[in-house]
Amino acid sequence: MSELMQEYWLLILVALVIGFIVAWWVFHAARRTHVELEDKADGDGAAKRNQALIDAPPVAGAVPGTMSAAANADAVAAAPAAADAEAGAAVPAREAMHKMADVSPGESAEALAPEPTDAPSPAPSQGDDLRRIKGVGPKLVTLLAEQGVTNFAQIAAWTDADIDRIDANLGRFQGRIRRDDWVAQAQMLAADDISGYEERFGKI
Amino acid sequence: MPIWMEVFVLMLLAYGIGLGIGWSIWGRSS
Repeated sequence: MSELMQEYWLLILVALVIGFIVAWWVFHAARRTHVELEDKADGDGAAKRNQALIDAPPVAGAVPGTMSAAANADAVAAAPAAADAEAGAAVPAREAMHKMADVSPGESAEALAPEPTDAPSPAPSQGDDLRRIKGVGPKLVTLLAEQGVTNFAQIAAWTDADIDRIDANLGRFQGRIRRDDWVAQAQMLAADDISGYEERFGKI
Repeated sequence: MPIWMEVFVLMLLAYGIGLGIGWSIWGRSS
């Protein structure tokens, strides 16, 4: 065995290096790509779901009279976001719920009031919905919130030093800030310059 | 066992060791 090792040490070393490179690729380089793809797919899916909720006709109000009151109320419960987004159309549904629950409209309105009107975008209760920045997903929102970043204005004001500091804490998302130009995106979003944003970064 | 097979086994072993070292460096971190 030792004779073989002496004779073929170069081949064995090459095999070792290849194993090392393969490990680096599998556990380090490829993992980053994989996470990005996964994240992108996730973000698209969430965006599509949100858009579907926004575009969807108000389930309860669409065909009044064809649904039983119970089914109507169930539909509202299933799609509160869509119903609330179209507050006017949701009124019949609310009336149906009032009848079902047998409570006064005033009380029920109070009970319904806390529901967020912009439910499709699950933004944190304070601050902006950072996911509007392209390249920022739910995980990054959490990571940024942990560092106290919740507003577009904060990101818009970042200097190079700030970017380095924040980037260092982004784990496997490192490099995203500059790659996706968060600062420019945030500046436009903070200024509500939607047309300029879409011109430069594509449709929101 | 022919000599080429011994060499092959040794190379496989070395490849596995390289993979193991790489995993211990990059694989466990997250």
